[in-house]
Amino acid sequence: MRYIFLILVLFSFSFAKVVVIHVEGMTCPLCTMAVKKSLKKIDGVTKVKVRLNTKKATITTDKKVGKKALLNAIKDAGYRGKIISGKN
Amino acid sequence: MKRREFLVGSALTIGAMTIVPSELFAGEKSRKFKVIYDFDLKYDAKSFPAKLWNPLPFNSDYQKIRFLKFSGNYDDYNINSNNPYDARVLYASWKKSDKKKTLHVEMEIETKTREVSLKLIKKASKQNLPLPKDVEFYLKPTEHIPTDGKIKEIADKLTKNIDDTFQKVQAIYDWVTKTTFRDPKVIGCGVGNAGKMVESGYFGGKCTDISSLFVALLRAARIPSREVFGIRLGLSHFSKALGKADKNGFANISTWQHCRAEYYIAGIGWIPSDPADITKLELVEKLKYDDKKVKELRARYIHSWEMNWVGFNHARDFVLSPKPEQFPLNMLGYPYAEVDGDVLNYYSPRAFEYKITSQEVK
Repeated sequence: MRYIFLILVLFSFSFAKVVVIHVEGMTCPLCTMAVKKSLKKIDGVTKVKVRLNTKKATITTDKKVGKKALLNAIKDAGYRGKIISGKN
Repeated sequence: MKRREFLVGSALTIGAMTIVPSELFAGEKSRKFKVIYDFDLKYDAKSFPAKLWNPLPFNSDYQKIRFLKFSGNYDDYNINSNNPYDARVLYASWKKSDKKKTLHVEMEIETKTREVSLKLIKKASKQNLPLPKDVEFYLKPTEHIPTDGKIKEIADKLTKNIDDTFQKVQAIYDWVTKTTFRDPKVIGCGVGNAGKMVESGYFGGKCTDISSLFVALLRAARIPSREVFGIRLGLSHFSKALGKADKNGFANISTWQHCRAEYYIAGIGWIPSDPADITKLELVEKLKYDDKKVKELRARYIHSWEMNWVGFNHARDFVLSPKPEQFPLNMLGYPYAEVDGDVLNYYSPRAFEYKITSQEVK
């Protein structure tokens, strides 16, 4: 049972993708929450970390989520995003 | 339940603040308010850790905390001013648990009308004395208070051919109160992004927006200035637009945060001003800029404050202590909290959750 669980965890990590986006226009701590909430609405996004001091959003997905969908979610929240990096 | 009480004269003294001697104040009428904060932090998870930073008022000649006590089920707490603005903060934290996160704060605050004589301001302004070193800090730009670009262009245009400092203040104050307007759609007190305001050309905003524009223009004209974040405590004797209470002097002030401004003239010190309340009076009482009542408030609020309000700090774009997940903080007029790393919506007392009440003590 333990081995099956470990295999499942490794399997999920092999599909995990981390995308880092520079978010322009965030001026206060509540801006980070608006960006985070908008990104978390996307199917496949498992974790979002947004930092005001670096103006960066780090997004982890469990399946293939298009970069355009991520940028649109940031736009919907009222900010502009620019992809810095994205890797599997 | 932990309880802490302070007789505050000694426990909460303000740091390096230049204070105008009390004999310069024309109005000396004293008012007392009992202010209560109640927190019961809310989050969408059952079990969570939490951190709360709540601004505390400073002591000065025109406002004093006579009494402060607080209690709650927090795991840790401190009162600190570990930031460049000496902003006083009551910090409380709770470890991860499914218990309620509560904090109750009680204060008695005494205020006096704050007014600096125009005659003395004009006299000091003519002397053109050098600025004290500590005051020069309030000439520096911050992220939200730029002093270059369009801000500098406007300040230069408004103060062209004016040598006298107070006359420069008057020119900037007149322009700000005439150009800006209160936009009720802006959330809370507004972000106070003076650079964005002039770049966009949209001059609608609330108190932080308008005060920040005033401060940015003054700094660009080399006049020290700063926002003063605080909260209205009760009835205004000038207009209900500027503060209300029921017949017993009680008010729910949870959303009454209000930002004012100060500027500095060497030889006399910090002078109170409140350009944003001119626009609030116009909107709420449906008055025009040149109506008699607006003219009267404009004349008063370039050198005085009605003290149905208490000030917390002058902090902009700074880092709280202990360091939160998110920084820098734009301003600290509202309680600030992080729950499992997420920021609670400080503009919404219901979502946060907090309640602030004030009872005027006769």
